[in-house]
Amino acid sequence: MANHETKTLMEREKEFSASYRWQHWIRAFSIVALTFTGFYIADPFITAEPNAEPTNFLQAYMRGWHEIIGWILVAVFFFKAYLFLFTRNHRGELESLKDLTNIQVWKQQIGYYLLIEKHPKLKGIYNPIQFAAYAGFYLMLIGIIVTGLILYVHTTHVGLGAMLYEPMRALEVMMGGLANVREIHHILMWGIIIFVVGHIYMAVYNAVFGKDGAMDAVFSGMKWKHEDH
Amino acid sequence: MNESSLLQRFSERINALKKLPKIQENKSIPELLEEKGFSRRDFMKWASAMTAVLSLPATFAPTVAEAAEVADRLPIIWLHMAECTGCSESLLRTTYPTIDSLIFDYISLEYHETIMAAVGWQAEHNLEHAIEKYKGRYILMVEGGIPTGEHGGYLTIGPHGQTGLKTAQKASEDAAAIFAIGTCSAFGGIQAAAPNPTGSVPLSEVTHKPVINVPGCPPSEKNIVGTLLHYILYGTLPALDAYNRPKWAYGLRIHDLCERRGRFDAGEFVEAFGDSYAMDGYCLYKVGCKGPYTFNNCSRERFNDHTSWPIQAGHGCIGCSEPDFWDTMGPYEEPLADRLYETVFGGLGADATADKIGMGVLTAVGIGIAAHAAISSIKNPKE
Repeated sequence: MANHETKTLMEREKEFSASYRWQHWIRAFSIVALTFTGFYIADPFITAEPNAEPTNFLQAYMRGWHEIIGWILVAVFFFKAYLFLFTRNHRGELESLKDLTNIQVWKQQIGYYLLIEKHPKLKGIYNPIQFAAYAGFYLMLIGIIVTGLILYVHTTHVGLGAMLYEPMRALEVMMGGLANVREIHHILMWGIIIFVVGHIYMAVYNAVFGKDGAMDAVFSGMKWKHEDH
Repeated sequence: MNESSLLQRFSERINALKKLPKIQENKSIPELLEEKGFSRRDFMKWASAMTAVLSLPATFAPTVAEAAEVADRLPIIWLHMAECTGCSESLLRTTYPTIDSLIFDYISLEYHETIMAAVGWQAEHNLEHAIEKYKGRYILMVEGGIPTGEHGGYLTIGPHGQTGLKTAQKASEDAAAIFAIGTCSAFGGIQAAAPNPTGSVPLSEVTHKPVINVPGCPPSEKNIVGTLLHYILYGTLPALDAYNRPKWAYGLRIHDLCERRGRFDAGEFVEAFGDSYAMDGYCLYKVGCKGPYTFNNCSRERFNDHTSWPIQAGHGCIGCSEPDFWDTMGPYEEPLADRLYETVFGGLGADATADKIGMGVLTAVGIGIAAHAAISSIKNPKE
């Protein structure tokens, strides 16, 4: 029995900071809400309850929430960029760049998912496939934020909307008009949906087979460290 | 700029124009209006309306009237390129002869192929003569895209067999101001839609001179005349938006001032043409209105003397004053989310919308995940 205990003894290790976990979940819920309200704006599939008074504002509410949550997404994006680039606690993410440029790690990682190789030892906290997927996700996020802002300046002509108006219109011309901007926004949403599905699967997969509580980390911040790793 | 200094600037500009010789010595605009049965009161009413269109204070109406009266000093050369003459129709064939069309038809249009009597060699001579006589003074209005394929050979006009490209470039050289009238001339229009067989391009791409775009298919007569009056008043080119369109006309979206906007915000939409919602005047977004992506003043100025416009008549906006609207705004009777992508796999990919492609990819991802999970649970990954 004692022998068995020493065999499974694992150390708890800090994987994600509190600020990292908060931004992850705020962003996750905002993506869900933005997808829902976004689909409504694209093609209003809910009929407003008939009302003899002119007090229905279903589309306006949906659009309002879409914009409010959109701004939350923008804020969280800047916060995450700050964490990634400038904080010592999150050096592990930048360390992953070393694995990203290592072909051997790439081969081993792909082999691991093809069930023919062992999981590579990583210098950072993300494997190269994961890092590339996240980089793609952030590029899509930048794209959807920029196209969102272009659409936004036409709904709000004061304050931030007024400040951003001219630069956003220049970008609008580059994208070939507002209809194209709206279409790019829509396509990027699909890219993000597909990323989210893949991301959840890979997270669950690694939690099941990695046996290190990888899924726990995004809730509690702690992960189990294998002794041999 | 405050009101009085702006007013003074307009007066100086008008006085300067008054010193120029008239295009037709024996005809002045006030005389002509009287001859055609317009009272001074009619004219002042029209001037007040144009003042409002240009977003000037009501006190400017007499100045705008004066500006219209000196329009007989500014000759206009109107060229037809690859187009349907709809823009000319919009300007000239209003519900009844209006003051706008009188000023154009009888006075300032020095050269206009649709309404002139001359043909053949004589027409060609008239154009050359007008360009020579009014060098540096005339206003050039061009209707239609400029085909550039085969060195412009797709549009060859007149006894000299000159290409439209060459004519447009030559006329642009000596113009005081250039207005691209209509979407074809401003952005290429329908003939520039994919795959653009004639290589049609906007006027601004074949001349190095500044071009003011007055798009629309067609633009309303108010936008055409307003751009001219604006030039007479200010003497400079108007404030322009990102697509070189005058801000006074194209500063806001159709959607921003739409009479059905309340229905949009309320979430009350027409589901199909002719349904009870359509009869109640609900928003046309779900049956394809592209007002939210289109910059124009139709919702404010309407067409045919403020009589009606597409959305009032019950059909959504098709976005005709936007670049590449033929390619980017379709399908016209469904929301933009249903935009169709070019067919792939020899037509198998037809009818593909972003949502359909997205669902397809998502399904493939789902199948892949299920397969990978199933195999992994049988043959565990190596530890």
